[in-house]
Amino acid sequence: MEHIYREIRRDPRFHDLERKRGRLSWILSTIVIANCLWYIFATAFFPEAGFAAFWGKPIGEGMATTWGIVIGFLQTILFVVLVVWYIRRANGEFDTLKDIIVADATRAAGDKK
Amino acid sequence: MKKPLLAAALLIGMGASLGALAQATGVTDGMNMNAIAMFLAFVMVSLWITYWAAGRVKSTSDFYTAGGQISGFQNGLAITGDWCSSAALMGIAGLIYTTGFDGLIYSVIPFGAWPLMMFLLADRLRNLGKFTIADIVSVRMARVPIRSLIASAGLAFVVGYLIVQMVGAGTLISSLFGLKYEYAQVIIGFLIIVYVAFGGMVATTYVQLIKAVLLLSGASFITFAVLAKFGFSPEGLYEAAVTNHPTAEKVMQPGGLLSDPINAISCGVMLLFGGAAMPHVLMRFFTVPDAKEARRSVAWAATFIGYFYLLTFVIGYGAVVFVMKDPQFLDAAGVIKGGANMAAIHLAEAMGGDLLLGFISAVAFATIVAVVAGLTIAGASAISHDLYANILRHGRASDAEVMKVSRFASIGLGILGIILGIAFKEENIAYLIVLPFTISSTVFFPVLFLAMYWRRLTTTGIVVGGWLGLASAVVMLVVGPTIWKDILGHAAPIFPYKYPALFSMAISSVTMIVVSLLDNSARARAEVAAFDDQFVRSQTGLGAEGAARH
Repeated sequence: MEHIYREIRRDPRFHDLERKRGRLSWILSTIVIANCLWYIFATAFFPEAGFAAFWGKPIGEGMATTWGIVIGFLQTILFVVLVVWYIRRANGEFDTLKDIIVADATRAAGDKK
Repeated sequence: MKKPLLAAALLIGMGASLGALAQATGVTDGMNMNAIAMFLAFVMVSLWITYWAAGRVKSTSDFYTAGGQISGFQNGLAITGDWCSSAALMGIAGLIYTTGFDGLIYSVIPFGAWPLMMFLLADRLRNLGKFTIADIVSVRMARVPIRSLIASAGLAFVVGYLIVQMVGAGTLISSLFGLKYEYAQVIIGFLIIVYVAFGGMVATTYVQLIKAVLLLSGASFITFAVLAKFGFSPEGLYEAAVTNHPTAEKVMQPGGLLSDPINAISCGVMLLFGGAAMPHVLMRFFTVPDAKEARRSVAWAATFIGYFYLLTFVIGYGAVVFVMKDPQFLDAAGVIKGGANMAAIHLAEAMGGDLLLGFISAVAFATIVAVVAGLTIAGASAISHDLYANILRHGRASDAEVMKVSRFASIGLGILGIILGIAFKEENIAYLIVLPFTISSTVFFPVLFLAMYWRRLTTTGIVVGGWLGLASAVVMLVVGPTIWKDILGHAAPIFPYKYPALFSMAISSVTMIVVSLLDNSARARAEVAAFDDQFVRSQTGLGAEGAARH
């Protein structure tokens, strides 16, 4: 198995793939963590801090629904959407490329034996 | 996939008709016959599945991972069953009932763990692991010290979580079914032993599948009924909640529960990172054939769990509106019967009478049984695979020997659950849920994350940081406000915060990093060098367990 791993590491396409997938994961993770921190900080620093104060304000004149409820609801939906979007790219584009890289490396390693 | 759905439909029908029959014949005397009948139907179907599954469990791979042959959709639903404990159904509604908006932090933040698992962990875990999360770290680290740490932390996690579930189930059953608390403990313990010891992961998976279908349909029905009262306008519901709740418009605003910033942040960190690395959930990634299906499981699980959490936005406030002022749910002092955790159950009765109450009670019970089964199999794998096969026998135990230890470990954990459940009767056990989440965020998340992403991590770093983090977490919990002040009765806590995760996670991660950097031994150099191969395997799945099967 080690010589196939070596072949894969030698393949520039592998590093491209790994960088591209890594970047996507990190961007999406940052979005998620930022959203969670926003929620946590809004809870922790309500109502003093400006970024938290409007969480308790109604979304319209005389309404009971607050921005906090709407934001929490939308964040939950956002998380599902991000997951579904990521899986489409990872199981489609990325995996197709990965299969080609692995097949090529397996053949190359076999030839050298 | 048709099987569990059919079974779920079958048992709803069976339960309803049994309940109607019992009521018609007048043998109810104070017990909820619908609940008992529906629960009995659940038990019969699940035992039948276990009987069927027992014939298919022939090796350790069948026992722990159902042979790696579960589909992404089935696994996603089963993960939903593993994830949504009674805390998700009853606890969140109870928190919203008492403190309003802040209760939703237990919906939104733990759910943030799902995208994180997807983007950072799921496919790599599947590519590197076999049966337990210790396998992943052992790919390039020393076997014995790593497995000792992770198995010990894992057992502490399982036992802490187990007590919460067992006591919750006992209380629920004695107040609903009119059954004695101790009998309830024995029944649950017995069911778990049968499911896990005989049916292994196959039976556990199907129990969780059915439970997830029941939970989602029950919660959907309550939500539908609540919204229907307001012409499907959430605004109408929230207006009524503001009118009904003693804190008035504050019920819709942050700040009711976690007023101290450090506590709030620490709690959030615990829920987010602890939620992303729970061993009984991560273990389910090994039940699918490859990384593609592992990602698919996460996508399905995130969809179902996200949907469920959206329902809590309605159910919690529904309880404020329909339970808080209704005398049938309040005692003489005007306090909710059975405590705030019963808010969702009372709401079911307010919305659908005895039948819905019975259904939701049975769902809550099935929920607990399924979660305990998942915890038991995770605990049994730590004992038999990590401690017995890899440490005690140095990997030389035969498959049959490991199987035997697994079955005995499941029986032992079931009995331990019964004993602890009875020992902790009538204790306020809500604080115990902090323990597993803290362990998970302090030990499992940093270890897994660093092992997969950071080349320089070494065994010494993990062992020193992991044990130090674990010890600091336990110490901070013991001398914190909940145990030191409230339970032991000291005047003031030594450690001022209820949630130590922020501190213990920092201690464990920083120590792991610093000690690894200082570690220049030959073993450390070999472990760093092994990162390259591990990295390719984690990215491609080449050399992954079970990958050769198809």
